[in-house]
Amino acid sequence: MSWLSRLMNAVNPRRLDEDLADEIRDHRERRAAALRAKGVAAAEARRQADVRFGNLTRLREESRGIRLWAGLEGTLQDLRYAWRGLRKAPAFAATAVLSLALAIGANTAIYSIVDAAILRPLPVPKPSELFRLSWPGASDPGGPPAAERNSFSYPMYLQFAAVSKSAARLTLFSFRQRVEAQDPSPGAPVEKITRQFVSEDAFEALGVRPAAGRLVMPAHTAVVVLSYDYWKRHFQADPAIVGRNLRIDLQTYEIVGVAREGFFGVEPGRFVDVWLPASLYDARALVDPGWNWFQIVGRLLPGVSREQVQARLQPSFHQFQLARVNRVSTMPLSIRKQFLGSAIQVHGAPTGVTDFQKIFGRALWIVFGVAAGILLIACANVASLLLARSTARAAEMAMRISLGAARTRLVRQMLTESLLLSLIAGALGWLVARSGGPLLVSLLSRDSDPVEFALAIDTRVLLFCIGVSMASAVFFGLVPAWQASGVQPVVSLRSSAGQAAKLRMGKVFVTIQVACAFCLVMAGAAFLFSLGKLFRVDPGFDARNVAVVDITAETRKETEEARRSLMVQLQSRIASESGVEAAALAEWSIFQGTGWDQQIVIPGKGPSERQEIFYPVSAGYFATLRTRLLSGRDFATRDSRATGLKPAIVNAAFARKYFNSLDVLGREFGHLLGRSIEHRVIVGVASDAHYNDLRTSAEPTVYVPAQGSDAFVLYIRSPLPLGALVRMLEREAHAIGSGTRVREVMTLETIVGNTLLREKLLAAVGGAFAFFGLLLAAIGLFGLLSYSVGRRTKEIGIRAALGAQRTEIISLLLKDVGGLVSGGLLIGLAGALALMSLLQSLLFGIRVVDPLVIGTAMGLFLATGLLAASLPAHRAAMVDPMLALREE
Amino acid sequence: MAKPNSAQSALDLLVLTVVERRGPVHGYGIATAIEDLSQEALRVEEGSLYPALHRMEELGWLAAEWKVSETSRRARFYRVTKVGKKQLLSESERWSSFSTGVSRVLRHA
Repeated sequence: MSWLSRLMNAVNPRRLDEDLADEIRDHRERRAAALRAKGVAAAEARRQADVRFGNLTRLREESRGIRLWAGLEGTLQDLRYAWRGLRKAPAFAATAVLSLALAIGANTAIYSIVDAAILRPLPVPKPSELFRLSWPGASDPGGPPAAERNSFSYPMYLQFAAVSKSAARLTLFSFRQRVEAQDPSPGAPVEKITRQFVSEDAFEALGVRPAAGRLVMPAHTAVVVLSYDYWKRHFQADPAIVGRNLRIDLQTYEIVGVAREGFFGVEPGRFVDVWLPASLYDARALVDPGWNWFQIVGRLLPGVSREQVQARLQPSFHQFQLARVNRVSTMPLSIRKQFLGSAIQVHGAPTGVTDFQKIFGRALWIVFGVAAGILLIACANVASLLLARSTARAAEMAMRISLGAARTRLVRQMLTESLLLSLIAGALGWLVARSGGPLLVSLLSRDSDPVEFALAIDTRVLLFCIGVSMASAVFFGLVPAWQASGVQPVVSLRSSAGQAAKLRMGKVFVTIQVACAFCLVMAGAAFLFSLGKLFRVDPGFDARNVAVVDITAETRKETEEARRSLMVQLQSRIASESGVEAAALAEWSIFQGTGWDQQIVIPGKGPSERQEIFYPVSAGYFATLRTRLLSGRDFATRDSRATGLKPAIVNAAFARKYFNSLDVLGREFGHLLGRSIEHRVIVGVASDAHYNDLRTSAEPTVYVPAQGSDAFVLYIRSPLPLGALVRMLEREAHAIGSGTRVREVMTLETIVGNTLLREKLLAAVGGAFAFFGLLLAAIGLFGLLSYSVGRRTKEIGIRAALGAQRTEIISLLLKDVGGLVSGGLLIGLAGALALMSLLQSLLFGIRVVDPLVIGTAMGLFLATGLLAASLPAHRAAMVDPMLALREE
Repeated sequence: MAKPNSAQSALDLLVLTVVERRGPVHGYGIATAIEDLSQEALRVEEGSLYPALHRMEELGWLAAEWKVSETSRRARFYRVTKVGKKQLLSESERWSSFSTGVSRVLRHA
């Protein structure tokens, strides 16, 4: 038979069936005629002919199986059949498809991020040859464990590159900075972009090809390489861009090339817009081994192992560590030891280097796990729906089996239905993922540090989506299908006694659902409570109605005095504006990770082991942020010009730690400034305030008078909107003719909130999934109970006829529910507690066994269970004994 | 394809032989021929003949066409193709060597 006729047969099997029927009829008629010729009566002849022919249905199935290639026709027929079945039960189909679509969509969305952030190798040839350098770092005694350090100085890079020349090629990447870019034409708009300095041959070493121009940058030349994305976004992918100029932070650079599509830098999730040659970096950084501001990424030469590279680098690294220790004469002994004992580490880096993985990696995997839990619940849900549905079809199945249909055929048919369900759900889920992925990313991103992923349609993600859909179809479809097809025809046709096993399976599914959903609800509650507790932490300042404005002085003021007077003028002019309650200056903003730490020298003692926070602020800082001064005075303008003994305001934690008392006015202490010691006298004590983190308790902090700076922040306490404040600032800045520019305006609340991104992500996703899981569990419970009420209508009718009260009937059913739910809850509780100990490090103020969390989750669950049970219970109570008994 | 010497390959051999000797023949004719020739010793369940016929048709050993039979009914007639003839040759060779082997053992054991 030709392929064409096969396909035609598959599409239209009726012709095939008719042919087969004709052939068989012909045969039987001939046989009957032959028998009649021997003298057998007509009716008897027909009967004998049929008996001799054998099982008609099996023959038909077998023959059809042979006639059509690889069951193509069977599949299409199954699909048609399944489609009809789903259309006949729209409520079932909609519930199943929607819950699966959401679950598959959530999984796909999260997988797409996990893939982009953690799993996908960099788009360069042979990513397995890439490596990155780090060293273990040193931890303060009694402090948190040391964080891996991946920053190196430029002299270190040069030295490393020289000693590993024959084993590897090293490249250098600065940390990313937000800068302002502008076309050189006057009046062109300013756009904020991300800049990174790289070693001149970095692209060549990594194997990144140009999309336009060339990527090798001559040293000490003002040139720039654009990312493909930026080129497309800002220059409409104009190939004539090479050779044109671009102004970045008021310097002009010549565009020499565009990196290939898909290369976004070596840090996944952190898109870089422009790359500049490292030789243009701050000149001091290029010679001073103390400026550890670069990351080093390398590529192994063929046949070289990472261990060999490590062995080459280690002696140089040790030399640098020795020099570092000697530079800081007061370094505590414990830290000195850690420095000298540390080894350089060479890590494989096929996926690039990223702090993103460090911060969000764990959280992402957890979110992924939560999504998998949702999928499990959704699958169990659909499985129990299918089970309930197969009851309705038991008679049909029994009929088909007794007519000789093969069991595998029935299983296949029901699996086709599952597959159809899951594929529709998968298609919908893909849409969910397409919109949900960017939404999730936006939860991780902030203006000053944007996160972006190449979440474009990706075959890996698509395959994942399809794979998950198919796997879930098999998971939720196989058991019901197998059970339905195992119907004993006689038993099933005669009564509904065979249904007990089915109900048992249904209970198993509901238990799985309840257990999983409870874990999700626990986790969701824990994340939400954790975030709530963080919000309620008293930061020690009042962040409401405070704007934080980043300002730079465009014209370089040579003397500190000139810069200071500029800052102070601006501050005092803003503070006197109407609508502004107070204003203060600082050299940087709190809660942005910027810091200046120093060891403390108390007279008569050696330098402290720990370094404490120093924060340079102007007069009025405490009033503006509403941090209380417990004693003493605020800074005055003259304080910043003090010579000799300089003033300081310390917080209570500092006073208690170093003086064991809050009564410290007039006491003196020193701290290191370069190689000398700067002495300070305490003029005020402030109440404790958090500096960079709400999660830890407020740390000892020393406030010192702000000196003049080219870049500073202005805190403004005012109910006015940010836009009005910016206009006011620009007007005032213009008035004093200082050439200052506002770079960034944010509310202090946003800045503080940005430090809680991870917690917000977990709370949003955890909370949403907990709700979803609860909903699915309720649907499952409702389905099972409805089914069970339907099955027991007769029993309930008899009970009612014998005088059982409604309440008794309801309590009978509720006992069933109670048993089901409590079983699931017990398993769920055990799982949830295990989960909680895993999540512990991501939670704030929540214990593993937290009565509040467990109580809330339990309460929510019981309420949901009761709600789900109430409708079927009501129906049971309304059963009319007469109707129920007449039914069968 | 069926394992050599299985019941299925035996049925295949019988069917091929009958169809080859008797020319275009319908399913009923094949069934009665096998019955008659074996003097009713080989009485196949008649229904199982058709999957075998269709399988061999799929394999290209048999070709079939609808014809109006002597009683002016629509009937499907089978004939052996070139491939089928080759198959018949090798199958019958294998079968005879197999049965000689078996009967030799039965005789001399």
